[in-house]
Amino acid sequence: MAQKSVKPAPKSWFWGSLTSLRLTVFLLLVLAAVAVIGTVVPQDQPPGQYYMRYGEVLGGLLYGWGFSRVYYSPWFLLPVGLLALNIFSCVVQGLPQAIRRSLQPLTPDAALALPERGKFNWPAAVDPHERINSVLRREFVSFRQEALPSQELYLAERGRFRPLGPYLVHLALLLILAGGLIGKFWGLEGTLPLDQGETAQAFQVGGQSRPLGFEVRLNQFQVQFYEKGGIPKEFRSDLTFLQNGQEAARATCRVNDPVTFQGLTFYQSSYGSKPAGPLRLTVRHGDRNQTVELPMRQMVDLFGGEVQVMLVRVDGNLQGFGPAAQLAMRAGGLGHPQIFWVLKDHPEMGEQPQGYRFTPESIPLQFYSVFQVKRDPGVWWVYAGFILFLPGFYLAFFRPAQRWAVVLEKDQKGRFKVRLLGASPRNREDFAASLERLLEELKKGTSS
Amino acid sequence: MIHQILGAVMLLYLGVAVLFLMAELWSSPRLQEVARRLLWAGLGVHTAALLGRWTGSYQLAVANLPPAGFFDNLRLVILHAPLSNFYESLVFFAWSLPALGLFAFRRYLQGYLGAVVATLACLLLAYASFGGVDSRIKPLMPALKSNWLLIHVVTAFLGYAAFALAFGTAVLYLVQDRRPRASLPPLPQLDRLIYRATVLGFLLLTLGILTGAVWAESAWGHYWSWDPKETWSLITWLIYATMLHARLLKGWQGRRIAWLAVLGFMAVLFTYFGVSFLLSGLHSYLT
Repeated sequence: MAQKSVKPAPKSWFWGSLTSLRLTVFLLLVLAAVAVIGTVVPQDQPPGQYYMRYGEVLGGLLYGWGFSRVYYSPWFLLPVGLLALNIFSCVVQGLPQAIRRSLQPLTPDAALALPERGKFNWPAAVDPHERINSVLRREFVSFRQEALPSQELYLAERGRFRPLGPYLVHLALLLILAGGLIGKFWGLEGTLPLDQGETAQAFQVGGQSRPLGFEVRLNQFQVQFYEKGGIPKEFRSDLTFLQNGQEAARATCRVNDPVTFQGLTFYQSSYGSKPAGPLRLTVRHGDRNQTVELPMRQMVDLFGGEVQVMLVRVDGNLQGFGPAAQLAMRAGGLGHPQIFWVLKDHPEMGEQPQGYRFTPESIPLQFYSVFQVKRDPGVWWVYAGFILFLPGFYLAFFRPAQRWAVVLEKDQKGRFKVRLLGASPRNREDFAASLERLLEELKKGTSS
Repeated sequence: MIHQILGAVMLLYLGVAVLFLMAELWSSPRLQEVARRLLWAGLGVHTAALLGRWTGSYQLAVANLPPAGFFDNLRLVILHAPLSNFYESLVFFAWSLPALGLFAFRRYLQGYLGAVVATLACLLLAYASFGGVDSRIKPLMPALKSNWLLIHVVTAFLGYAAFALAFGTAVLYLVQDRRPRASLPPLPQLDRLIYRATVLGFLLLTLGILTGAVWAESAWGHYWSWDPKETWSLITWLIYATMLHARLLKGWQGRRIAWLAVLGFMAVLFTYFGVSFLLSGLHSYLT
């Protein structure tokens, strides 16, 4: 890598900095530090959260300078972009030479320049060829023979494609980053909550409704538990896709088992519950009793208008305590409502306001299914990068380059002199092991 | 039952650590050999315990839903590898340390390094046994029902184990660098071992992240969503990537590389423990 620049031009300084390893190391450390910030400072919160947590000055700074979405802010994207440029320049600079080196087999000239590792004098009347052939076949599987005017050469090499390894790994990284960008610009992502039996023509993308281009109906939504109130076993949505009112396809969408229709993929991302009908409760206050039915989000008078209550929401399993309903209560149509939970299986639990005690008779629940809907043409680029990683890592780290040559020379008396030459620039340990084996095996030939 | 067996394995690892230390202090090759054989024995029992737990969760799954046909059965076996909660991950992490040491770094696993590996494995098992970790076998929640579970967790934890080895070696390096001792391996050899363990860990961590990304894409529709576990694994990856590149820079060899290996392992520990306890996210079923 050490280059002597003959004419120092400003362009070569620029290129030198862009391809420098110091820049790489610096950017990697910067990215690690910025990524840490993103796990310490809560992400994607409304501005008030930051002021409350960090105070006026620091909170304002964090929010105003983009630390609330740090992975999408210049703090992160700028180093990522520079790193991509750095990687790209290194690939441009080194890949052609790596390809040339990989395509170039070991030449006799290069082989003869390798350092000598062992020397044997073969006994007269013994032909070394057969021995050398068998030893090399066992060690290298494939090798070449070359005849020079005064010498015979056996050439073997391992890991000739090793120089390509690092470039494949870095190209893989570029593919992944490109895939991320493609997804950002040409992808589409939204959510779609569906009730059982409901048909939708549109889904929500960033708070706006967007047509699907077809219709989708949720025929059935099932939430199964291993045991009541325990770990969920399966979320399953049976979907029908309709085009121009005609049924086009049916599919079952589960977690880990998404469904694709017309380029949009539906993921079973979550579910929610809402009341299937009005909630029946008994209310006690002192020694008075009343039974009421509460429809969703409607104020209902209690005890002749003394207080009013409203059903805010229901939950199928509130923190593991079973079905629960959240109520809001207001005294005499005035003041701020008080909000509290009532639990069906544990009516004694939880604070309830002003001496009133609510006991739900049953909480009829209906689950609805929530889908993540998206199209991401970048995914295949990302996956291509993932796949390219594998040969890249294999070549870079597990195929150390070794070059070997066995040189045969006949002296005046017709005896063979055998020399073993070899080198491995990076991997001394494997090389030493190979060398030991080769020397031992070749030596056996000289003693017979 | 399996819980008690693992407790015994923990004591065995402790004994192995002590033996390795004694072997080093008295420079006794025979003790080294005894310690190594005992470590093999511990790994054998540990493996049996893992398989026993695997059978247990498989049987629970069969009781819940009998499989239909061979492939359904095979899928059930793959899904119920004992890698689905915090307890099981601790036990597997503890397993991967001696396993990786004995299989991939056999030549180096002796003396102080052997003691480091056995001690770390012992500590992890002690945490699993006495840390108040829920050890019950539970059925799988829907998000975990994926063929990627096995390969994702196995690559991630083997990667962690390789980084633990690099960390242990780096500590030895720093000690040796400050106060050279004849009983410790020479610095260049330690440096090479740090590098080799890091390369293996880096490959495995990369595979762990990639398989996790493919899994997340099919489960939630995002191959990357800046979940704290994901982010911290990326931070860990960046630190080790820094280390692999910095080795090639002038002035960064030796001590700085060893410090980076220590820093990297701190990031590994935070990715594993810190994220589970301090930050919440998609991996929260681990706790």
